[in-house]
This record gives sequence, structure tokens and C-alpha cells, in this order.
Amino acid sequence: MKQFLLRRLLLLVPTLLGAVSLVFVLIHLIPGDPVEVMLGETATAADKEALRQSLGFDRPLATQYRSFLINLAAGDLGRSLYEPATVVQIIRARLPATLQLAFCAMIAAILISFPLGTMAAIRRGSWIDRSALTFSLLGLSLPNFWLGPLLMIVFSIHLGWTPVSGRGGLSHLILPAFTLGLGMAAILVRILRASLLQVIDQDYVQTARAKGLQESRVWLKHVLRNAMLSVITIMSLQFGGLLAGSLITETIFSWPGIGRLTVQAIQTRDYPLVQGCVLVIATSYVLVNFITDLLYKLVDPRISYGD
Amino acid sequence: MTDTSKQAIFSQSFCARIRLPRRNPYRLFLSVILLPLISTGCRAPAHDRPKGYLVAGIESNPLQLDPRYSTDANSVRIGNLIYNSLLRYDERSQLQSELAEKWHMLDDRTYLFDLRRDVTFHNGERLTAADVKYTYESILEPSSLSPKRGLLRSLEAIDQFGSHKLRFRLRAPHAPFIEQFTLGIVPARAGKPGASNDQAPPGSGPFRLEALESGEKVTLRANPNYWEGSPRLAGVVFKIVPDALVRVLEFKQGGIDFMQNDLEPEMLPWLKNNTDAHIEMNQGTTFQYIGINLTHPILRHQKVRQAIACAIDRDSIIRHLLKNIVSAAGGLLSPHNWAYDQSAHRWPYDPARAEQLLDEAGFMDPDGNGPRPRFRLSFKTTNIDLRRRIAEAFKEQLQQVGIELELRSYEWGTFFSDIKTGNFHLYSLAWVGIEDPDIYHQIFHSSSVPPNGDNRGRYRNSEVDRLLEQGRVTLERSERQMIYRNVQRRLAEDLPYVPLWWWKNVIVKQPGLRGFVAYPDGELISLKKAELG
Amino acid sequence: MATKVWFYAGVALLILLAASSLLAPLLAPHDPLHQSLDKDLLGYSSDHPLGTDKLGRDILSRTIYGGRISLLTGIATVLISLAIGVAAGSLSGYLGGWLDLLLMRLVDILMAFPGILLAIALTAVLGPGLNHVILALCLIGWTGYARLVRGEILSLREREFVQAARGLGAAPRRIIFLHLIPNLLPPLLIQATFGLAAAIVAEGSLSFLGLGVEPPTPSWGSMLNDGRQFLLVAPHLTTYPGLALMFTVLALNIVGDTLQERLQTRIR
Repeated sequence: MKQFLLRRLLLLVPTLLGAVSLVFVLIHLIPGDPVEVMLGETATAADKEALRQSLGFDRPLATQYRSFLINLAAGDLGRSLYEPATVVQIIRARLPATLQLAFCAMIAAILISFPLGTMAAIRRGSWIDRSALTFSLLGLSLPNFWLGPLLMIVFSIHLGWTPVSGRGGLSHLILPAFTLGLGMAAILVRILRASLLQVIDQDYVQTARAKGLQESRVWLKHVLRNAMLSVITIMSLQFGGLLAGSLITETIFSWPGIGRLTVQAIQTRDYPLVQGCVLVIATSYVLVNFITDLLYKLVDPRISYGD
Repeated sequence: MTDTSKQAIFSQSFCARIRLPRRNPYRLFLSVILLPLISTGCRAPAHDRPKGYLVAGIESNPLQLDPRYSTDANSVRIGNLIYNSLLRYDERSQLQSELAEKWHMLDDRTYLFDLRRDVTFHNGERLTAADVKYTYESILEPSSLSPKRGLLRSLEAIDQFGSHKLRFRLRAPHAPFIEQFTLGIVPARAGKPGASNDQAPPGSGPFRLEALESGEKVTLRANPNYWEGSPRLAGVVFKIVPDALVRVLEFKQGGIDFMQNDLEPEMLPWLKNNTDAHIEMNQGTTFQYIGINLTHPILRHQKVRQAIACAIDRDSIIRHLLKNIVSAAGGLLSPHNWAYDQSAHRWPYDPARAEQLLDEAGFMDPDGNGPRPRFRLSFKTTNIDLRRRIAEAFKEQLQQVGIELELRSYEWGTFFSDIKTGNFHLYSLAWVGIEDPDIYHQIFHSSSVPPNGDNRGRYRNSEVDRLLEQGRVTLERSERQMIYRNVQRRLAEDLPYVPLWWWKNVIVKQPGLRGFVAYPDGELISLKKAELG
Repeated sequence: MATKVWFYAGVALLILLAASSLLAPLLAPHDPLHQSLDKDLLGYSSDHPLGTDKLGRDILSRTIYGGRISLLTGIATVLISLAIGVAAGSLSGYLGGWLDLLLMRLVDILMAFPGILLAIALTAVLGPGLNHVILALCLIGWTGYARLVRGEILSLREREFVQAARGLGAAPRRIIFLHLIPNLLPPLLIQATFGLAAAIVAEGSLSFLGLGVEPPTPSWGSMLNDGRQFLLVAPHLTTYPGLALMFTVLALNIVGDTLQERLQTRIR
């Protein structure tokens, strides 16, 4: 067990390093010089050179990479090239918003998918089954940037139930969480249905039925419990996707999260900020995966991962 | 992008291996649900509308409020509410005194200022000549790395006499320098950005910075001790709403009270019919143009450029695509500007003339009116929807005269970089905030090729060069006017830029807002006199 | 019973889509690129049954041609991702060792990397255009297939028929191609169906960021993005391509689901 833990933790490091290195390479490949953007048109070549030197951009890439890694190890992500703050400060201000949105999107996904998935499994093969699956597919086929404003028009403008956009309490969260979570819901419905159907055929369920247990108790005590595990696993895997995919939802709903921040940072070529953001996103993703694997191992040590 | 592939892997590989769970998954489940509810509770509900505050919707968050470093439009406009400057442009683009009670020029390169004595910063300290001197000198310092440093290049020294008198000495006469007196003043111990924990140094303006929530909103509170009198608004909240459609929806619902520009033209009639908005459109100074690479073998022919100007049906685009939120332009300077020359030649829509010019230039149409073009050019634009749509209209119009445009849209950073390096044939962009005609030097003088300026098309005309150099050192207004009239005439013939239009300032506000005056360059400074009824 | 009906409906829809894409020049009443600035945002008319867009172009024609581009993008993405993913996954799974370790780390890194950012970076480096969009989508998408293939091969590797082939002296390449991959076809086909749907929708997301197909080429994704600002004044700009997209994704998922049920039961 401990060996497994250690192995998995060790594997985290190269993955994170790889992700961060990849972004380092990519952002330096993208055309566009941040010094030019920072100093604008009226600066002389000498001024630009001075800025480049003070930021260390005149050094060869390999040297820059090395000092980047050294700073990273010390927890120093540098300063943003534009905003008067350190990268850590900026990310710390924006990350909670995305986490909040992502979690609530998961809740929304669960609230949609559980009734649908259960119904689909109970009435397998019927038109209820098919419609539930189809309905859930709305989430996958409707792009967020279209769905979001549609929901705003219906629920905020016509019905007046929620505010249009912006961060805040529950009423502000409903629409964006729903928009973001609908995609996940589609997947969850399918997974839940599939694993429920699989569990239903198991011996112990038959046993429970034979013992004379009420159908609803059979479902609650045995079937649902077993099926939920795989659902939880999928949810945690999808969580990483939610983080990255929240970009569009954050833009539409004026949500001050890290997805929007990352794109803005790329557009202004704010290298330190981009690196910081990608690091944070990749770390969350990798951590969540790790925890999932861990939970799985805890639950059923017989599962092997083949590596 | 969702990982449908991953879920399939899981459903196949893992579901089959689950037996009885050892732990109760319900508990896990519950904790997953509780987390966001807890987190929601921890965050106080957003005060979107504190009493008496005006809520303005803006598109992106201001990056840097410190006036010595601010370059993006939002930072500059919000900064002008927080900071005062020696002089300020008013709504008719005339320079007025602000912090300077009196000022005059001693000779052709020296400016004397006598400051007001009743100005205090938001932290209570008095504003004195030392603060003004510090503000300018801190920019000039090489270690400041301020983007404004280049603008102050011709400043030799600042001398302070007592606590309210200053003398600015330039190295040589430089007429456009006067614009630099609109720089916001910070206290003498402000330091570099990020030096202190404050998000911006304190100012002396009608509003003070109350809060800056990154990516979300900027809150300004009225300064009760403002020397011109406290603003009637309790404060202003600048709410960041990136999407244009959502801004309109927010306005409809009452989430925001005020928007300026960045709107889809179609939305104006909708706003008029579906909300109680007051919509105002004023002549603006933002100039949209097609930039041309004059080193390109085809584009260096003047007749080709003139043909392009004739082939574009500006009026149709303005009327239908843009719903008249722009006015057709003949050149860089808008009619407001004191140096504007209305007699400069314009190129009306005339496809027949365009074809004739192309023929004269030697680029015949290979198959008459058939599908084969005379030649191909690339047209670069940013990937904003409206800009791309306009580019598509150009493509169709130029196709009519036998020029095939290949449209390429890029995100801003790449686009801007390409333009600076001269990696383009044609592109379209806008100049914002044009005040002094010396900008022609920055754009068209042969020495202003990037990285030393904005002559991205590599235009070289010795006569224009001479005129522009003269315009810089001539201080007499009517003489300068003559010089720049000649410049405009030359450029209208030569067409290193094809002028398109000036964007109007479109203001959408709720009827309760009174006393707001639109400025041609989009400044929001009149909010200090506005009130919410 | 219901399953059958849905399945055939889905297949019929897909055939309809394929046909209209192939026959686009014959079906479309107008040139999808032809503009009439003064006829913008019109609703229904006999000349333009689905109306016109902001540049006066016929929406019906653009929807038909748009389907062609969206479908092409999706199919190209899936085929290329499959090719890369199957190659990487089978080599990784069969040969194992450090190659496996390296490839799987690469997969992990790419999966941890926010996909959309990869797309932004790639199109910024390579420039705009459909080809680069497809490339970006492929680079994000191949990892899923690779993991799937690797997993399956790991479990199949120890089966008798593979042992037998190895015992008989067959080269690894032969084993992979002749024995292993045919067994992978069912799950891969199912994955590809879902992948196609995802790719078509992803193209829309990229359009939102300004990275999709170049104007004036129509695709459902870019039409949705171009038209969304007009949601309040001219909803028909987005309704038709949106519905077309929705039904296509629906059909693909129904077909994929059904295939999964039919073929999965056969394996297990």
C-alpha cells in the first residue's frame, strides 16, 4: 500500500514538470514580444533592451528555463508583467471562484443525472430510457456560449429569477453551474445507467430479492451503492476537464475565475502568469486523479493498474 | 472538451471489477455535496449595487491604475477619475487647467506652472510641486521601466520653486510635448507598482479607489474633500462583463446603468425598443483604417492603393453593417481636431474607376469579369466578430474589381506582433485617442519604422518627412495648421493608409443619470459632475 | 423495441447528413459566400427560407455547406487521432518497458494540460486555418484512444491466442496487426463515434475563441459564434445551425450507445 502511494506520488512530479515545461516552450514559441506590449510604441530600442535585461528575457532560453525551475522549487512564481502583483497573489484571488464554480457544476450534474440515470436503468429499453439519454445529450451538443445566453434570457430577463451574470451567492451560481455541469451530466447519466445495469445482474442482488427484500430497498442498499463508486470516480476525473473547460462559461457569465485569467494572460503574453495558471490547473487535475486512484485502491485492493 | 473517451475506458475496465464496497459511498457523496454549499456560504453575497453608486459595464479589467504605467484604455479612463493632472482636455478637445492655477510658456522650450493650493491627496496630504516633480522624474528614471518614458524624452529638467511653482525645461522646442501635461500626479513617495500593498498610489481626483477585485470589478468612492466640490454620485462601480450580449442583458435587467462603446450595432435599436435606455452618439476620434505594406511589390504602386480606396463601398458598410455608429473618414484627424483639413481629397466608391486604375498600374484582369483575380493579397485582422465581418465585406467588394483577399484572423498578441514586424500585406486597425497632429510623425515619418515608431507600412516620403519635422518645432498655431494641412493633402493622394471611418462614441445609460457629457476620446471624466436621479 | 426505432432514426439522420454534405453544391439554393449587405438579417422569405445573416448571405446554403465543413473537420480529427492513438497505444501496451513509461507520461502530461490552451498556443504559433484547427484537436484527442488501446492490449496480451501466435514465432508487428487490433475495433468504433460528436462541438468552442475556420468559410461552429450576438434580434442565425449540430450529435450518440450495447455484450 505504502509502496503504491509512493510510486504514484513520484509519478506526479514528472507529469507536472512536463506540463509546465510544455507551457514554457509553447509560450516562447508563440510570436509576440511581451516587452513590446509592455512598453508600447514610444519606447526606444534602448528602453526595451533595458526591460528585457531586467526581466531576464535576453538570456538564452535554456538559462531562463533553469532559473524558472529553481524559482518554482522555492515557490516563487514571479511577478505578473502587467498587474502590480505577484503571480501567486493574482492566482490566489482568482482560483477560489473557479473551484466554487466547478464544484457547483458537479452538484448540478449530479442533480440532473441521478434521477435520469436511475429512471433509465429501471425502465431499461423503454422510451423513458431513450428519452432520458437523449435529454442528457443536450448538454454535450449545445455549446456553452450559446446555451448560457439562452438561459440568461429565459431565467434572468423573462422570469427574473436570477441575476444575469457576475459572482455571488446561490442565485448567481445557478445558471453558470448548470451550463457548465450539463456536459458532465450527459456523461454521468450514461455511466450511472451502465453501472446500475451491471450491478443489477449480480448474484447478491438476486439473493436480496430472493430474501424477500422490498424492491426499493434492494435498489437503495445494494444497487445504488455499488454503482455510485464508479460514478464518483468519473466525476473526479471530469473535474479536471471542468477546470479547463470553465473558460467559456467564465467569460459568458462574467465569472472572475482562473480560466478567463489564463486566456487573458496568453493574449498579453504575460509569461509568468500563464505559467502559473497552467501549473495550477495541471496540478489540480493531477491531484484529483491521484486521489481518485487512491480511493479506488482503498475500496478494492484487487484492482490493478497494469503499470 | 469532455473526455468521453475516458469515461468509456472506465465503464469497461473498472465497473466490471467492483464488488462489495468496503466504505459507505454515501458519506463520500455527502461530503462532495456539502463542500460547495459551504464555500458558497463563506463568500458574502456580492454588493452589486451599493446605494447611490453608478454601475458601469466594461469589457476587460484594467491592468494598471498607476498613471505612470497605465496604457490600456480602461486603466487610463478609470485612472483619470482617481488622479488629477496639470492640464486636462475638455469635451471639445481643448486643453484646460486642472492642477495648474496659472501657466504659460516662458520661451519656446520652457513651461511655467503655478499650482492650486487647495488640493489634497486621498490620504490627506497636500499636493505640492514636489509631488509633480516626483511623478515626472520617477518616469524618467531608467529603472522605472515605465512605458511613458519615451514620451518624456525631450524633457531636460524640472525645477521646483517653493511648494507651488514649477518650471519644465525641454531640450528643444517640441510642440506636442504639451500633451504630457495630462499625466496623472501621484504622491512623492509612491514608489514602483507593487512596492506597497496598495493596488495603486493615492490620487487627488474626484473619486478614490475603494476596492479592486481582479477580474470582477473596480469600486470608486466619491472624494468628499475634492477641491472642485464633491461629486454628486456616491461612487462608481466598474463591473467587468466580457461579453457584449451579456452587457446588454445586464443593462436590461438593471445590473448595470451605463455602457460606452463595444456594442454590436444591431443592439442599439433593440435597446431603444426594449429598455428605457438613453442612447447618445457623438463624433469620436477613434480612427479605423486599412494599413498597407508599402514594400510589397504590388502595393507600392500608388494607383493600386487608390484603386483599393475606390473599390470599397464605405457607405454600404456604414449604413447596413455598422448601422451608422461610425462616420466616413477622410484621414486620421477627426473634424473636432483644430488641425483638421476638410479639403483633403476623398475617394468615393467607384468600382469602375478602381478597375481603370488597376489597368493603368499594369495589373490587368486575366479573364475579363471571370473568376480569376488580377492578384491576391492577404488581409490580417483580429478575431473580434465585428472586425471579421467587416473584413468579409471588404473581401467581397474587392473581388468585384478582381482583387482576391485572403482573410487571416489572429488573436491580438500575434496580430500586433506581425504588424510591427511588417509581416503583412493589408491589415485593419484603429488609432485611439488622437489629440495632437504630431501623431503623423509617429506613424508616417521614415524614421518611425518599428521598433522606433509606428510606421508599420514602411512609408517613405521626404516631403512629408520635412513637413512633419517642421510641425514639431513650430509653436504658432496657425502656422502648424498650414503644415498639417499639407501633410493631410499629401497623404490623401499617396494613401499609405486607406481611411475608413471614425467610430462614434455610443453611450447607453439609464434615464436617471443626468449631467454626463460624452467626450470624443471616450473619457469618463464628466462623471464627477453627474448625478443619479 | 424503442431501442431499434431510435437506432434506425439515428442512422437515417447520419445518412441524411452525409448525403447533404456530398451533394451540397446541388442542394444549396445560393452561393454560401455571396453577400448582399442591404438584405441583412431577413427572416423567412421564399428566396431565403431560413433567412439571411448579417452580411445578407443565405442561411440555408450556409447550413448545408457548414455541415460539410463541420463533418469533414470531425472525420479528419477522428481518423488522425485514431491513427496516432492506436499506434502509440498498441506499441506501448504490447512492447512495454521504458517506451510504455515514456508514452504514458506523455499522455498524462497532455491530459493534464488544459486542452483549449493547447489549441490557442498552436494556432498562435502555426497561424489560423482549418488545417491547424484539426491539428490542434488531434493533439488533444489522441490520448484517449491511446489509453483505451493500451488497456485493452494489456488484457489481451496474455490470452491464449496471442500466446499461441508468439509461440509459433510471429513477429510483434504481425501479432499486433493481425490478432490484437481486430479485437479492438468494436470499442474503438464506439469511441470514434463519440469522438466525432465531440470534435464537431469542439470546433464550435474554438470558434468562440476566434480560432476556428477562417471567414468567410461557414461551419456550424462558426455560424453559432457569428450569430450569437444577434440572439435577441435575429435568433434564426443560430437556431438552424444549432439544431443541425444538436441533431447530429444526438444521432451520433444514439448510434454509439446502441453499438456499445450490442457489441459489448458480445465480447463479455
